[in-house]
Amino acid sequence: MRKKSFLLAVALFLGLSLLLGGCSQKQASDKTTGQKDDYVVYTVADSNGDWGFPSPWGHYQRGPGYLRMSFIFDTLIWKDEQGFVPALASEWQYDQENKSYIFTLRDDVFWHDGQKLTVDDVIFTWEYMQEHTYPWVDLSYIENIEAKENNQIEIKLKTEYAPFLANVAGTLPIIPKHIWQNVTEPEKFTEPEAAIGSGPFKYVDYNKEHGTYLYQANENYYNGQVRVDQLKFIKLNPQMTVAALQKGEVQAAAIQPEMAEQLNTTLQVLTETGSSNVKLMFNHRQDPLNNKEFRQALAYALDREELVAKAVRGFGLAGHPWLYTPDSFWYNPNVEQYEYDPQKTAEILTKLGYQRDPSTESAYWFKDNKQLQLGLLCDANLIRAAEIIKEQLAKVGIAIEIKSVETQSRDARILAWDFDLALNSHGGLGGDPELLNRFFLDEAFNSARFQANRELVSLIQQQATIMEEEARKELVDEIQTILAEEVAALTLYYPQAFWAHNGQVPLFYTKGGIAGGIPLPLNKLSFIES
Amino acid sequence: MRKKKIITYLAALGFILILNFLLPRLLPGDPFMAIYGEEAALSLSEAAKEELRAKMNLDKSLIAQFKVYLLTLAKGDLGYSYALNQPVRTVISKVLPWTLLLVGSALILSTLIGLILGIESGWRRGTRADRWILLTVVGLSALPNFLIGILLLLFFAVQLGWFPLGGAVTPYSGFTGTAYLLDVFKHLFLPLLALTLAQVPRSYLLTRASVLGNLSYPYVRTAAAKGLKPLQIRYKHVGRNSLLPISASLGVSVGSALAGSLFIEIVFSYPGMGSLIHQAIAQRDYPLLQGILLVIALTVILANLATDILASKIDPRIRKE
Amino acid sequence: MVDYQAKKEFLASFLASKEIILGGCLAIILAASFLILPWLLKGDPYQTSLNIFTPPNKEYLLGTNDVGQDILAGLLLGGQNSLKVAVGVGILSTCLAVGFGVLAALVGGRLDTFIMRMIDIILVIPNIFIIILVSAYLKPSLGLEIILISLLTWLGGARVIRAQVLSLKERTHVYAAILFGANLAYIFFRHILPELIPLVLSIFLQGARRAIFMEAALGFLGIVDPNVISWGTMINQSLNFFYLDVWRWWLLPTAGALSLSLISLTLIGRGLEETFISNSERRSKIATDQ
Repeated sequence: MRKKSFLLAVALFLGLSLLLGGCSQKQASDKTTGQKDDYVVYTVADSNGDWGFPSPWGHYQRGPGYLRMSFIFDTLIWKDEQGFVPALASEWQYDQENKSYIFTLRDDVFWHDGQKLTVDDVIFTWEYMQEHTYPWVDLSYIENIEAKENNQIEIKLKTEYAPFLANVAGTLPIIPKHIWQNVTEPEKFTEPEAAIGSGPFKYVDYNKEHGTYLYQANENYYNGQVRVDQLKFIKLNPQMTVAALQKGEVQAAAIQPEMAEQLNTTLQVLTETGSSNVKLMFNHRQDPLNNKEFRQALAYALDREELVAKAVRGFGLAGHPWLYTPDSFWYNPNVEQYEYDPQKTAEILTKLGYQRDPSTESAYWFKDNKQLQLGLLCDANLIRAAEIIKEQLAKVGIAIEIKSVETQSRDARILAWDFDLALNSHGGLGGDPELLNRFFLDEAFNSARFQANRELVSLIQQQATIMEEEARKELVDEIQTILAEEVAALTLYYPQAFWAHNGQVPLFYTKGGIAGGIPLPLNKLSFIES
Repeated sequence: MRKKKIITYLAALGFILILNFLLPRLLPGDPFMAIYGEEAALSLSEAAKEELRAKMNLDKSLIAQFKVYLLTLAKGDLGYSYALNQPVRTVISKVLPWTLLLVGSALILSTLIGLILGIESGWRRGTRADRWILLTVVGLSALPNFLIGILLLLFFAVQLGWFPLGGAVTPYSGFTGTAYLLDVFKHLFLPLLALTLAQVPRSYLLTRASVLGNLSYPYVRTAAAKGLKPLQIRYKHVGRNSLLPISASLGVSVGSALAGSLFIEIVFSYPGMGSLIHQAIAQRDYPLLQGILLVIALTVILANLATDILASKIDPRIRKE
Repeated sequence: MVDYQAKKEFLASFLASKEIILGGCLAIILAASFLILPWLLKGDPYQTSLNIFTPPNKEYLLGTNDVGQDILAGLLLGGQNSLKVAVGVGILSTCLAVGFGVLAALVGGRLDTFIMRMIDIILVIPNIFIIILVSAYLKPSLGLEIILISLLTWLGGARVIRAQVLSLKERTHVYAAILFGANLAYIFFRHILPELIPLVLSIFLQGARRAIFMEAALGFLGIVDPNVISWGTMINQSLNFFYLDVWRWWLLPTAGALSLSLISLTLIGRGLEETFISNSERRSKIATDQ
């Protein structure tokens, strides 16, 4: 008797937990429709998982967040391997005299809820973003937007703005007026309607805890047939990637460099260097890092070649003090390169009034009886680089205390100026030189926010308004010289990125990066049969 | 006797509450961050922070703060996770079933296995079989649970590819009915095996020791003299008596299995309380961390209470005490 | 001189247990290698180098990790740290257990009730959760770790000691000593402590074993001082690269060292209990062991 009731209780308990556990998943699985035989599910994995709700204001302000949104929301134009291609706009032209762009909108585009996409929606998007800033697009150069006849829109600029196509027309997601017009707090609007767009995929589900996204192919996509029926983004421990790819649990994922050799032949590997970097950021709002000579002293003390060899095990390029790689059109070779020279560090520090006991090898520098010690903020991805920087700086007598936190809180601390030194990484280096604004002036966590040198600020602002390439290059060269002199931020290295996929979808690295320069091979165009 | 136990449990709950309350407030550093977590400290506006400080009486005396703290908890409000942008209660209620499934099944399995092994091995005390079982289990008990998990994961999921690499279900599989249950079971198998292996030594050693004690009692000889088969004696008589110590320590077993699941879940990225603790630690999401530990403490206390009631039902001697 | 015979018997039964001998040898070999090998090998576990993921060779007996650090040197330093924590917690928690256990038993009355109730209360919640909560706030250094773990591991031991002392109190010679008004300290050192030695040893081992486990577990969770090399952190780091061959000389030896240390202490503990501690005591100990 007793045994029976015990077993019954056990069975009940197990059943109950299964049921409860199932509940959270059930909702999502109900939404997946009946599956055909040739139903293609494509799964992309990454180690973070959660990049925010995939609406323009819901996604986290980093490349992968924007990409997850970009599968749902289309822009006026887009980029493929070669350059700009039509998207919502079938044609565009620049009217130099009036400083205005004219876009011809397609008239066969429908929102995912069946409503027609019109010129009104484009104008609404611009108006809405005046009120609710979308950090990925700088609209301050736009004078106004007007509807013309024949489905045309004219965007008038205040001044000439060279990066307009890449950074505005090719980045700005168009949102449906009938859904957003009454939304006052777009950051908090995360109902399923908030993810109604006009892109190749429809939103089905997003799960913050599990870091998963589920999209369904948009069968009525105006631009062509979508290659897969379902697109999933899931979270995966990075070390599991090879196993998951080979078992077919995942179709595409970033991999560690050494994994490339271990993959079997059915998998393809994509690799790319130079469109993203790892950089050292300085809190130049406080002593001693507000002194440019001190920052120079640090730059001389860091052996960037050794950093590449150790922190990324040789898979990457040593950094050039300012952002561009030597093979870039915008690269200026005639700036101070800060070759490794600890002697110079010692000279500068002595000049700045620091003292060091020469009798002991490992002694740290002192000033006013205080040891020279700096905090170095980083996240778990960059902890090894941080350890090597600590080792290198210890050699020249600067003590470093590493503070490793989550990526998001590192970014938040940088934004709040709550750091001395910080390690950060970002992409976008292949994009338009407008990135000078983005990574040196803008109020963002991957920006140096360096406004101390007024001349530099005005030069950077000026260069974006020059349409003529040679003249712009001259200005950009000059900016690089000043940036190198100021050491506003120091590019340490350009890591080599690797992706592996099963070839089902022809993934590619977009020239100059997706949209504003995202260096990931997840361009939505590769999912569309042309 | 029952009353004394209940007081002990209440006091244990009080101990955890006081610890949860005092830790963030007495440690050096910013109490705001220690109470609300890093995300809140960094992303909330000054006005919002001021409101929270006022709400929790942070500028008043500790006693006034404790009062508010208890009152909020009494309303079932476990706080708010600013990192996940959700109430802690919601977050926990989503992952708790997975942990209960894992811990519950592991407890049942490990108790059964431990019981059988313990009886067989105790019955044959001193023989080679007994020594080998004992040695194996003692060796097993010395291994840290996360190592057992890592080895199982590396071998069965990564090298052989027999099982999924992590998680509790295939995300968005669209499975229903049996296919769904099978999917859940496939994901559960390895973590369950790991946790069961980690838990077997407890029940085995307990059973073996109690069997050894029982064998010398006259009733065993009486039963043998009555001509009962050894199998009957072993399981009906000795076995049943060995159930008592096991059921009496079930409360502690629940605690130890929960502690084990913490590490096993992390190894297998199983989306339960353990993985959540790991995430809360990494994100310095203190409200979530405190909430989880409070829920775990409550679970353990309730398990202890249930055990005591159960034990007094099974064994009348306890009731009389 | 009276005790001479007893001591001899004690030693004899000590050596009669295979488990004690096996575990003891293992423990001595491990401890000795953690203390002596670093002197002989002179590897620096912190020094990074350009030899990344080197397989085991003459210079690096266990190869190097992802930043070219000597894995064997790290393993040995991790062993030293584990040893420090084990001995530290062993001593501290045994002192607390003996102190409170004896105090409760000898003084009795309200103090006894109070101590025992406190122990009951704290033991309800598995102590690893409390240690995790505190560590998450403090990221403790080795010293703090020792104190923290000790504060939560002496409780079970104190219970056993108290029970033992209570039963000793009943024995005639102790009883007589109390009757004759000998002071408590004298009774404790002359009559009680010698009888407690096997129990004290067993509590010490239990504490040391839990300490090694906790130290590794906290390292695995990443809530220790990041500048301290620990087996737990090494295992955690090695998992990032298990798709390479390195796990064979990075994960396995570390896991092996950790397991062997724990097994050696477990074996000695079991042996001690088999030999010196009665069955019922052992059962109650298993039941409360978390």
